[in-house]
Amino acid sequence: MTTAFIDRRTLLKTGASALALTASGVPAAVAQEKRLRMYWWGSRERAERTFKVNDLYSARNPGVKIDGETLSWGDYWPRLATQAAGRNAPDIIQMDYRYIFEYARRGALLALDEFMPAVLNIADFGKDAIDSGRVDGKVYGVSLGLNSTAILYNKTAFEAAGVNPPTHETTWAQFAEICAELTKATKKEGFWGSQDGGGVEPGLEIWMRQRGKALYTPEGKLGFDAKDIAEWYGYWDDMRKRKACVPPDVQALDRGSNDSAMLSLGKAATAFEHSNLLVGYQTLNPQKLSMTMYPTGGPGAKPGQYLKPSQMWSVYARTKFNEEAARIVNFFVEDQEAAKVLTVERGVPASAAMRKFITPDLNELDQQSIRYISLVSDRVGPLPAPPPNGAGEIQRTLRRINEEVGFARTTVNAAGKQFIEEAQSILARG
Amino acid sequence: MSRASANDTRAYLFLLPWFAGFFCLTTGPTLASLFLSFTSFDLIQAPRWIGAANYVRIATNDVSFIASLKVTFFFVAFAVPLKLGFALAVAMALNKGIRGLPLYRAIFYLPSLLGASVAIAVLWRKLFSGDGLVNKVLALVGIHGPSWISDPDYSIYTLVVLSVWQFGSPMIIFLAGLRQIPHDVYEAASLEGASKRRQFFKITLPLLTPVIFFNAIVQTIDAFKAFTPAFIISEGTGGPVRSTLFYTLYLYQEAFAYFRMGYAAALAWVLVLIIAFFTAVSFITARYWVHYDD
Repeated sequence: MTTAFIDRRTLLKTGASALALTASGVPAAVAQEKRLRMYWWGSRERAERTFKVNDLYSARNPGVKIDGETLSWGDYWPRLATQAAGRNAPDIIQMDYRYIFEYARRGALLALDEFMPAVLNIADFGKDAIDSGRVDGKVYGVSLGLNSTAILYNKTAFEAAGVNPPTHETTWAQFAEICAELTKATKKEGFWGSQDGGGVEPGLEIWMRQRGKALYTPEGKLGFDAKDIAEWYGYWDDMRKRKACVPPDVQALDRGSNDSAMLSLGKAATAFEHSNLLVGYQTLNPQKLSMTMYPTGGPGAKPGQYLKPSQMWSVYARTKFNEEAARIVNFFVEDQEAAKVLTVERGVPASAAMRKFITPDLNELDQQSIRYISLVSDRVGPLPAPPPNGAGEIQRTLRRINEEVGFARTTVNAAGKQFIEEAQSILARG
Repeated sequence: MSRASANDTRAYLFLLPWFAGFFCLTTGPTLASLFLSFTSFDLIQAPRWIGAANYVRIATNDVSFIASLKVTFFFVAFAVPLKLGFALAVAMALNKGIRGLPLYRAIFYLPSLLGASVAIAVLWRKLFSGDGLVNKVLALVGIHGPSWISDPDYSIYTLVVLSVWQFGSPMIIFLAGLRQIPHDVYEAASLEGASKRRQFFKITLPLLTPVIFFNAIVQTIDAFKAFTPAFIISEGTGGPVRSTLFYTLYLYQEAFAYFRMGYAAALAWVLVLIIAFFTAVSFITARYWVHYDD
């Protein structure tokens, strides 16, 4: 309840300042200055780079000011939804593939096609990268960087234990083997090979895609059955029993932020993550990190991973500055100076020209991100269907039921059935 | 205009700011929430009237609702009596006429000031985690403690302890109540040879019942509304499993994680009814155990 009040208060504050502005009678000279609001989630590192690019833009376009607002992923979406409800969303919104369909179809985003290519010239993204921002045929999102899922691992820990780290050819069974070995070879108590990945949605998705299935069908139904998910829970149950991954009461300390991940807490040597997060995780870890692909499905399996926009810029449907917003978006993805500041922190630039321009000056870590994306490029499948309404709740259900298995509240097979039942009821509700 | 009505007008004028606040910030949103509870509302599209469907679902088809009720009732049933008992014990200790009472009172009240804050909840997380301070102390006496906050068998107890630790405000009220009890009653009882124990049960408790009643109601309502500690300790998930899924946390998830504002509003009204029910029961039973002076 407290939080409901806080949100109401924040809402009121915004309202009050808007009122004050109107009441004071904005002078004509100030009215000519364009002030746009930009909103994104992410780390401090990202905030600093974004503010720098905004300053560059203002320096080149006198009279345009961009006010940045940034929050963590968890707080970001409730606030955006509240602002959209108050018809007071920021002009430029960082968007995720999970949410773009919902926002675009509910009329909250601006179609950017009318500005292409005159203002927004992203032809060198290539068709796939442009299409990843399309909803029902129109462009509502502009990719800020390509990424893919990746296993981040503590290279130092593997070297110290004398165990070979996983590679892009490691199968799920071999991965379990490697992790169990690392746990055993590491002398430190309270350190395991892997995090408990049973609740990690991208992990489940890749596992299913390798078996020719999907998380969701294009119609928004579940793409797998109780037996499939029971196998997934079973894999992680086995991992826990072999001490290849952390026990459930340790995994429960993971609050979904980078700094509370098992890898960052020094509890596990590997994390199931996304490739653009290597940069952020490395700043949190004194030891040397590296990355590789999620385990493969073995010979004959289909590719599980795919390339996706790590995040996109979208423009608010009610913005007063349509064209200016589109121009700012273009600046972020197609300007050399901006690209030099942003590098690969949001993912590898989708623009071929920008990628080529920044690569020579990148540090080793950033180079690794670029190499990783090109390694993955030959081993990916198509972009999956967008998640239906309720996918966020199903994601939490996946994690909760994995905990129930971990704490021995249920069996693997019962968990499979329970998951399907709950997920279907969530989808039916929408 | 008569003098009296001019005075009335003036009084209302002075009250205007309060009225404005009451109607715009309390009554308005309350009525809006009542309306929303009969709609489907995702914050972006306009609310759609769906009649009593939200309430029907809560009553017939919501596993998480039942789970969250269980957690909340458990919490209320444990935290409130423990907290009141602890507060009374400390109040009685402080009422012995010790030196430096204001200082002790302030120290014991301190947790209540800090208690609801995010910082304390974060500190609690650290204290009660697997390699936290609590387990390090236990290890000294050879006990290998579990990870209190992240084990579903224990996580709720850490929240109970956190709540009991904030015994400050009922303690202050008990202390005030104890000082109201006339000394001569005890003196008379001592002269008659009544033991301390007997004095406590025959004098202190009966004369304190109005204060106990007040504290019990306020603390029960507070416990039903508890949110921040569970939110911070489980990072909003109510986990592990559903062990810390307080009612308010579930309501928050529905509203701000899944954007079902209409359903969340209905949940909020059900909570109002639950609290109203318990308060009414308390008032009805009060006449059998609460003794007022007259």
